[in-house]
Amino acid sequence: MVDGQTLYYRDSADAVVEHDLDGLRLVFHRPSGITHIIASPLPEIWSLLDEQGCSAEALWRQLSDHYDLEGDSTGLVQHLDALATLGLARLQR
Amino acid sequence: MKHSCMLSIGPASFRIGSPWRAPIDALRELYAAYPPVKSGIADYTVRLEPAGTGRRWFRPSIAIAGDHMLADAAPMALRHGLLAAEMGMNLQMALGWRRHLLIHASSAEKDGQALIMTGESGSGKSTLAAMLGECGWRFMGDEFALIDLVTGSIHSFPRLVSLKNAAIDVMRGIVKAPARFGPLMEATPKGDIAHLVPPADAILHMRDPAEPALLLFPRFGFASELRGVSKGEAFVRLTQASTNYVALGEAGFHALHHFVDTVPAMALDYANGEEALAAIDQLWEVRS
Amino acid sequence: MKDSGNHEALDQGAGATETPGKAPDAGLARRKLLLGGGAVVASAAVSIRPALAQTAASVLNCQIPVPDPSRAGQHIAADGSLVAPGTEGAFPGSGRAFTGEEVRAALRGGRTLPGASYEQSRAYLNYIRRLQSGTSGFTCYASLQMPR
Repeated sequence: MVDGQTLYYRDSADAVVEHDLDGLRLVFHRPSGITHIIASPLPEIWSLLDEQGCSAEALWRQLSDHYDLEGDSTGLVQHLDALATLGLARLQR
Repeated sequence: MKHSCMLSIGPASFRIGSPWRAPIDALRELYAAYPPVKSGIADYTVRLEPAGTGRRWFRPSIAIAGDHMLADAAPMALRHGLLAAEMGMNLQMALGWRRHLLIHASSAEKDGQALIMTGESGSGKSTLAAMLGECGWRFMGDEFALIDLVTGSIHSFPRLVSLKNAAIDVMRGIVKAPARFGPLMEATPKGDIAHLVPPADAILHMRDPAEPALLLFPRFGFASELRGVSKGEAFVRLTQASTNYVALGEAGFHALHHFVDTVPAMALDYANGEEALAAIDQLWEVRS
Repeated sequence: MKDSGNHEALDQGAGATETPGKAPDAGLARRKLLLGGGAVVASAAVSIRPALAQTAASVLNCQIPVPDPSRAGQHIAADGSLVAPGTEGAFPGSGRAFTGEEVRAALRGGRTLPGASYEQSRAYLNYIRRLQSGTSGFTCYASLQMPR
């Protein structure tokens, strides 16, 4: 069951520097100085976040506009939580 | 300190101080062909210190100290003083250098381009670089490859080559001038060690950078095998092999990405030096 | 020459080649995006972090890895069995020269993984995650260089 209340944010674009390498995404997170190497579907999900905040439900809709989605909303939330654990996204319940 | 000398190696300079004379004399002799330190001011200080009270005189042993230190390092015997000084200089670079991205690797240059070899101890990267230096390549270093943070060029850090165990005999078979070898130090914490002075052209051109053209992961003592290493794999391996990737932050990120994106990487297993040199010749010929 | 085999599956390009994370243009075939769910989702990230606190265990285990550490040493003992390099009386496997074609193929094959599928990317990420020793290069080098 997707929680409609939680909003997911990312910092402004200049908080990170990105490069693609071999089908993976390299991300340098300036505030922490940590380099992350992230694989699909994290980059696709992350690129749709913004500073205004977005619910998982809204993200699901946006993703399904662009991709054939496989899996369910639980998976999406787990990936969003993973992004938050990495420090690349924030959430607000 | 009572005895000291100053050394200029590639872009870095060191002042080595010691209460004992022998290690400083050895350094002066082996680094005789190197240029003097301009301005008389060194980037780093290395101090060989008596380890514990009274150790200046009684069963003297050395604690390696300097601008950058490791607190729990074990002391070394005085007869290994030259090795202690070299390790001290390596430590200053590893812990303190910020002007380039530092990779624990050997390197050699040919036609303005550099071959970089990285891997664990025993991979043979030092010996291979020394051998290349004796057959038409310019030796650039056996410990650190320095990657320019802006241009991506490789800069040379040609300190004395540290030969271990069997590699000593290998190089004695190739380099005939005995004056190029430092004393044999037996039973050091790293085994038997002897230092080899790099060839004259390596010292003469130590300020000349080179464009990286090939990254090699050599592995000695296996049946010969060659495989390509993909960019993502090379990136992560190099973060493990770099002593300052994390400390350099964003500049390190860009430099390493650029390096991995533009320099092909291969893994080479080999059973003996000649085999490796032949494979390197082949790879060099088809490099893009 | 025996190809290492580790990356054979990863070298087959398949699926979309556009940059991950950028929404494809309208009109192009839509790419699949696997979100999973239900069971715990495996981590899709590897992080390069500052040096961990130096523990005795991590110092002892620290190595700067060389590709294919999973392969056993291939020295040959007198009875023909494979033994570790340095074993008394054993000698290295007979070396052979590579052909120019083998060299070119290895050079081409290793340089990039074109358009890896989702499964391939994930397998690849798992592989490179295992390359991390748990300490950064800084700690690793320092621990290797100094006797303790």
